[in-house]
Amino acid sequence: MPHFLIQFAQQHEEFRLPELEALATIEDVEIIYNPEDYSLESPFLIVEIESEEKAARLLKRAILIKTIIELWGKGSSWDDLADKVKQHPERWPQYMDVSFKFSVVCFGGTIEMKDKPAIINRFAFTGFRGKIMLKNPDVEFLLIADCGLDPDNLIPHTFYMGKLIGHGKRDLIDMFNVKKRKYIGNTTMDAELSLIMANQALCVPGKLVYDPFVGTGSFLMTCAHFGAMTVGSDIDGRQIRGKGKTSIRSNAQQYNVEGRVMDALVFDVCHSPWRNIKSGIFDAIVTDPPYGVRAGAKTLGRKDPLKQATEPKMLEDGEYSHTKTDYIPPTKPYEMSEVVADLLMFAVKNLVVGGRLVYWLPTVTEEYSIDDLPTHPSMELIANCEQSFGQWSRRLITMEKVAEWDGKETLGPPTGEMSRSKTSSTNSIGHFGFRDKYFAFGNLESSRRKKILKELYDKGGREAVRAYMKSEGEKKRQEAAATSTANVDAK
Amino acid sequence: MLQCHVKGCNANNFPLELQEVVLEEQEAELNEDFLRNMLGKLEYEALVATCLKLNIQDLPPTIPEDAAYNDDFLQKLHHALLETHVITGKMVCPNCQHTYVIRDGIPNMLLAEHEV
Ligand SMILES: C[S@@+](CC[C@H](N)C(=O)[O-])C[C@H]1O[C@@H](n2cnc3c(N)ncnc32)[C@H](O)[C@@H]1O
Ligand SMILES: [Zn+2]
Repeated sequence: MPHFLIQFAQQHEEFRLPELEALATIEDVEIIYNPEDYSLESPFLIVEIESEEKAARLLKRAILIKTIIELWGKGSSWDDLADKVKQHPERWPQYMDVSFKFSVVCFGGTIEMKDKPAIINRFAFTGFRGKIMLKNPDVEFLLIADCGLDPDNLIPHTFYMGKLIGHGKRDLIDMFNVKKRKYIGNTTMDAELSLIMANQALCVPGKLVYDPFVGTGSFLMTCAHFGAMTVGSDIDGRQIRGKGKTSIRSNAQQYNVEGRVMDALVFDVCHSPWRNIKSGIFDAIVTDPPYGVRAGAKTLGRKDPLKQATEPKMLEDGEYSHTKTDYIPPTKPYEMSEVVADLLMFAVKNLVVGGRLVYWLPTVTEEYSIDDLPTHPSMELIANCEQSFGQWSRRLITMEKVAEWDGKETLGPPTGEMSRSKTSSTNSIGHFGFRDKYFAFGNLESSRRKKILKELYDKGGREAVRAYMKSEGEKKRQEAAATSTANVDAK
Repeated sequence: MLQCHVKGCNANNFPLELQEVVLEEQEAELNEDFLRNMLGKLEYEALVATCLKLNIQDLPPTIPEDAAYNDDFLQKLHHALLETHVITGKMVCPNCQHTYVIRDGIPNMLLAEHEV
């Protein structure tokens, strides 16, 4: 398969591979790479993708990919790079007579304008005869020098050349910028992360996405932008109604997704009125549960159960208090760990199989730290990415419902693996796509397994890997089935 | 897709009956993929009953067999589901009579203290 060079944004590094994997799944593109090539400290990753057309598909909604080029060579100096490019003259003829341009870019350093022509001239051997056009050429070639992240090193160590496939959609970050949004609250989610979450949730036209802690509706906007139908709910009606003329509805108008932001309802997730549909209602649940001081979680009821009323209260005017329009039922605090456990159980019951739960889990705060990730046999962990703020941190968890709920199974034992990011390159398999989750990286994968895969790939290529993964997946499923029946028996 | 969730109200609590409604129609783009997705999730009879109460009479009493690719039917379903909005009104539980109020298009489904 042809090689491509992906240049990621050097930001939210932990989210880059999971997003890439999600994009590959959404667009049905198969990707292979060597996990040892990937580092959080570098924006570059060389991958194999079937075709240029498939590589371009990955860019349609990529937030953390800046650029993809079809890789024509990689070298340790401009000269070395030129030699590598010369080894494949068969690539050139199709670009002989089209308009083109060369661009020279440098990561982690600068190349002065005056030095660029000389660099470009080193590649004159391709003999392209087309017109040079600086604006909108038919093809653009990129010459990339990489100095790395070290601010003290301004000397490039790696050089790449290739044909530009295209750029990601980082301009969406500006479009959804909360500073330009009409209605926001103090827990409105950052635009970039809201977009990444919509990708993680595999939002596409036709799907139904739900945010049970909708607040000002950040996720409804980005999920709807990618075509999904969305609904949200919140215990706090003021959040949904908004202020004056601004509300979730007016934001939907602002982003031109009004037809896809269906409803926002007021209720407590602990007492949710959704009908339980056997095969699940929602294709994804995308949410930022309440936590901390700013948006502390509450649930209906009173702290002291003895004080909680069991009968409606008659007011002096002969009406019941709860029928008044300004009635606000009492609430009590709702523990973070309970919130998350309830959310996971809600997902187990209400997601369709193959549906995703994408949510934030604060892990270290001043008040508490969670070190266990709740699990359920019906839910498989897809990605676990940390965003650290120094004082505190949170994790974006992506899970996929992999099996129908049997109506009994409760949350599984905690894994104790909370603090392990799921995408660290030491425990990933560099192969995903085709909706085959067993190709995806897993933090359960041992290095031994990785070695097996590498050997298989060297010997029998992709087919061999795929066959192995299939049989492993089957085994895993059988084991899971066996242990879950064992669990039921034990109860 | 909503049912009454008052504590102890577990039977005959669906569909909630719409009363005193003010409707608003708003044109929306036809989204066939979504409608097909919803076909398996909707409780169709309840939808038809609710629509009849709202004077939307063009939905057939049972789902046509070829629903997923029946343009005429999908168009009607689209109109009922996505172009008709209840701006104000009440949803009343057929069992316990709990009334959920809809204001500015936002249903308030919070329960009262004694109902949780
Ligand atoms: C972190 S905020 C979500 C913010 C949202 N993502 C946004 O962009 O505005 C959490 C929300 O959960 C709501 N909430 C707290 N407890 C709840 C409960 N028991 N049921 C439903 N919503 C609840 C709060 O009112 C708050 O709006
Ligand atoms: Zn009821």
